[in-house]
Amino acid sequence: MPATTEYQGSFLGRISIRRNQVMNMDGNHDQELEDIELFQRHIADRFADLLSSSQQQPSSEEASTPAAAVDPFLSINWLRKLLDVFLCCEAEFKAMLIMGRDPSQISKPPLDRLIPEMLDRAVKALDICNAVTNGIETVRHCQKLAEIAVTALEQKPFGDGQVKRAKKALNSLMMAMTGEDKEGGSYTRTWSFGRRGSAAAASNKDRGHLHLRSHTWSVSKNWSAAKQIHAMTANLQAPRGNEASGLASPVFIMSTVIVFLMWTMVAAIPCQERNGLATHFPVPKQLVWAQSMIALHEKIGEEWKKKEKKGSVGLLDEMQRLEKSAHSLIEFADNFQFPAEEERVEEVAAHMAEVADTCRKMADGLVPLQMQIREVFHRIVRSRTEILDVLESTGKVSAPIV
Amino acid sequence: MAGYQSMIPIHERDQHVIAAAHHILKALGATKNLSDDMRKILSDLDVHLSIMSNGGFIEVEKRLKRAEVKVLSWESSQTMIWDSGSREVSEYLEAVVEIQTVKQSLGGLSLIENGKVKECLYRANSVLQMAMSRLEEELVHILVQQKQYSEPEYMSFHSCQEDIVYDESFVSVEEETYQRVSQNTDDVSGEHIVELVNPHVIPDLKTIANVMFASNYDKEFCEAFIGVRKEALNVVIVGMEKYSIEDVLKMKWCTLSSEIKKWIWEMKNIIRVYLVSEKQLCNKILGEFGSVSSFCFVEIGKATLLNLLNFGEAVTMGSIRPEKLFNLLDMYEVLSDLVVDIDSLLFEEMGSYVRIEFHELLRKLGNYARATFFELGSAIVSDTCLKPLPGGGIHPLTRYVMNYIKALIIYDHTINMLLEDQEEKDCSITCQFLLITSSLECNLHKKSKLYKEDALSYIFLMNNIHYMVQKVKNSELRLFFGDEWIRKHNGKFQQHATSYQRATWSSLLSFLSPVSSSILKATTPKERCKEFSIAFDEVYKNQTQWSITDPQLQEDVCIANLQVIHAYRSFLGITRITDKHIKYSVDDLEKLLLDFFKGSRRSSHRR
Repeated sequence: MPATTEYQGSFLGRISIRRNQVMNMDGNHDQELEDIELFQRHIADRFADLLSSSQQQPSSEEASTPAAAVDPFLSINWLRKLLDVFLCCEAEFKAMLIMGRDPSQISKPPLDRLIPEMLDRAVKALDICNAVTNGIETVRHCQKLAEIAVTALEQKPFGDGQVKRAKKALNSLMMAMTGEDKEGGSYTRTWSFGRRGSAAAASNKDRGHLHLRSHTWSVSKNWSAAKQIHAMTANLQAPRGNEASGLASPVFIMSTVIVFLMWTMVAAIPCQERNGLATHFPVPKQLVWAQSMIALHEKIGEEWKKKEKKGSVGLLDEMQRLEKSAHSLIEFADNFQFPAEEERVEEVAAHMAEVADTCRKMADGLVPLQMQIREVFHRIVRSRTEILDVLESTGKVSAPIV
Repeated sequence: MAGYQSMIPIHERDQHVIAAAHHILKALGATKNLSDDMRKILSDLDVHLSIMSNGGFIEVEKRLKRAEVKVLSWESSQTMIWDSGSREVSEYLEAVVEIQTVKQSLGGLSLIENGKVKECLYRANSVLQMAMSRLEEELVHILVQQKQYSEPEYMSFHSCQEDIVYDESFVSVEEETYQRVSQNTDDVSGEHIVELVNPHVIPDLKTIANVMFASNYDKEFCEAFIGVRKEALNVVIVGMEKYSIEDVLKMKWCTLSSEIKKWIWEMKNIIRVYLVSEKQLCNKILGEFGSVSSFCFVEIGKATLLNLLNFGEAVTMGSIRPEKLFNLLDMYEVLSDLVVDIDSLLFEEMGSYVRIEFHELLRKLGNYARATFFELGSAIVSDTCLKPLPGGGIHPLTRYVMNYIKALIIYDHTINMLLEDQEEKDCSITCQFLLITSSLECNLHKKSKLYKEDALSYIFLMNNIHYMVQKVKNSELRLFFGDEWIRKHNGKFQQHATSYQRATWSSLLSFLSPVSSSILKATTPKERCKEFSIAFDEVYKNQTQWSITDPQLQEDVCIANLQVIHAYRSFLGITRITDKHIKYSVDDLEKLLLDFFKGSRRSSHRR
């Protein structure tokens, strides 16, 4: 593993130089095998890093000393690392697949089937990117509500007014978190109209109107993240026999990486229609490069199964933390009587510190995360175009590939 | 108990100190050469001291109590304050201001430890929370109730109008004109500010904003405001269905084409009308709070804009087909039109992400449109077929290409701009047009070779080149091609007409020639007349099936054919063959000649 950094930088250069040599030598299989092996090793290394960083999860959360700079599993920063890993793998993959290669090589069986399938996954991934980017808006809304709670309880000593203010914000926060998947996701904005429930007949009408219209999904109504993930996974099959040693292997690896990334994002971030998100990962356990990915997948899958039933807000570490703290704080607020007991005040202060810390992380990380997802989006678009161009130059693709 | 008793003297001592401090303040206040800052400090101190003195504090408590009663009286009420008249509103707001003042003066006190003061402060906070919560509801209520928007008037979009539809054989093209979308939507060519909420509630909204911000409830205000406005904006674009990228890529072109037209309209509408108005609304209400206004604006508009941009992204991912060019140019034009608007709407750091996305899409559309433009050339070259077009009429490819470039004229400026961006393939739209028509001619020549009869291939070339010339002459295309091109091509089709004459009649005329050629030497005039009739019958049978669509051209060719009549008449005159040996009289022949090229009638109605 220490060798990782050694060839990371020079990988693209090496591929292209070699490729030029290969071209002259009329398809040197050994070189290609070496390239593929190198690619597999990089995949293995990068995901091993991710796995190890997620295992060092600070067990004692309170003791998060400055030394514990490890990004928690499924936190914003962890996801950003995963996105980085994807971008690196993708660049290597594309270099290997098309750089300096005779186009006819990738239009032969089984690639003539595997590559269009992969491009189809790419398109689905784009829609997932958009849905997730949109979901981050929900997360940001939650962040804003949590910040209100922090502002309220920051004032010391706090009394009934501050507690009520915090409680109102936290209740909205819980509604925003759990309202997911109802009425096609009308949770992006949940108003605490509650108290004046019967306000006026006229405004009631408008209120319903507001709710009905309130889904701001980026995609069509019937679109479902879970279904997309399912469709991306359905025809994902590890190459067997002779195919396993050829280009079919990196195509499979890249498809696996993209499926893993999209699945993880859907599990982590609120997203349109996640009901029935599959936890099956069709990657044979004996594949060395896939070990860490499979381990991560199992880990996330377990979390998902645990949380799914509760109308989960997603596995994003920061949201989980907010949810937990919000629960305790609401409980505190429900039983609050002025003046607060000293003990309780300390407890609340600890929770508030946690919420404030989480809000800070969200404020710092969510917009960059959104932009990074957009970068992934553009990268996928570009690669798809480049691969299609190569295929087109072989004249084999006459019908537009979706 | 002992502790409690000892507190009283301390309290009394405080009162003495306060009284003494009052005197000092008065003395200081009398000094003339005091800075404004100093004066402010002194007056603040004065307020504090008056609270601290027993009588003053009681006064403060009373004020709080009054405000509290006001706020509480509305808690149980079912009606909204802003629905209950301006007096109620101003009374409520006064109460809120009272609470704020009380809170501020109490909060600044060093005697915060004083139990009474502390309790009073808590109460103030509690009532303030109640009031703020109430104001938030009032805000949402006003925003929802007083929302205004004119239902946008949609253009009628035909699901599949007579565009320049391209299919493999170029058949379904007629003389249609492509309607440029951007011209039809000139109604939103400039910024058009609409009132998104009833203008008379703006001061109310502003007041609520001021009060909530002053109480440090700015976050609550913004979240509520953003929420309602975001939904409102979302409702505006219901005219356009939301599609996933996958949907767009799978869409049939004619459906996509009409969606693109909606998109173009929507883009203008959203940016020039709604976002501009939204920004103004934000500024009106929140302009005093610095960057808050633009923060709210970006939050409100971001999702909607990104959704629209994503549709554009999806379009640029489709396959490159010439028939898409017009829609793509429309899209490109509308975005490059709107760049200025977007740059000014989102000039701040906060909106830069969306702004960059917008520019990126514009760049992609430009590239895509350019590639599509060049695709026409390749499409012409690669358009091959094995069977000749029956009748030698105007080939669908000719129609397609000429109508296509004719329709492009209105985009000349944009196309030239796109071509300029490109370094290798330089030259203007004019040059590209010439390249396109010459590869079309080239292709037509290849197609003409498919005919077994030379005469028919000349008719085919004549028809098609004549069509090209007519298209150029009778449209703005002449400005691009120039008189020289027209002259040259006039010459070309006339040449083909002459060649046709020769190919058709030279063998027939040889029967009628007064000087017998060597082959016909043995034959008598009677036999030659008979052979002529047989050959003519053959020509008649064929050429009545051929087509010349243009009536003028048909007439010209038929008139030229009359030369046969002259030859026939003089042949009959010289040879004096008796009538019974003559199959056709001169008049018969003349009539028959006029039947030629009637195939065009039938075939032109074929569609």
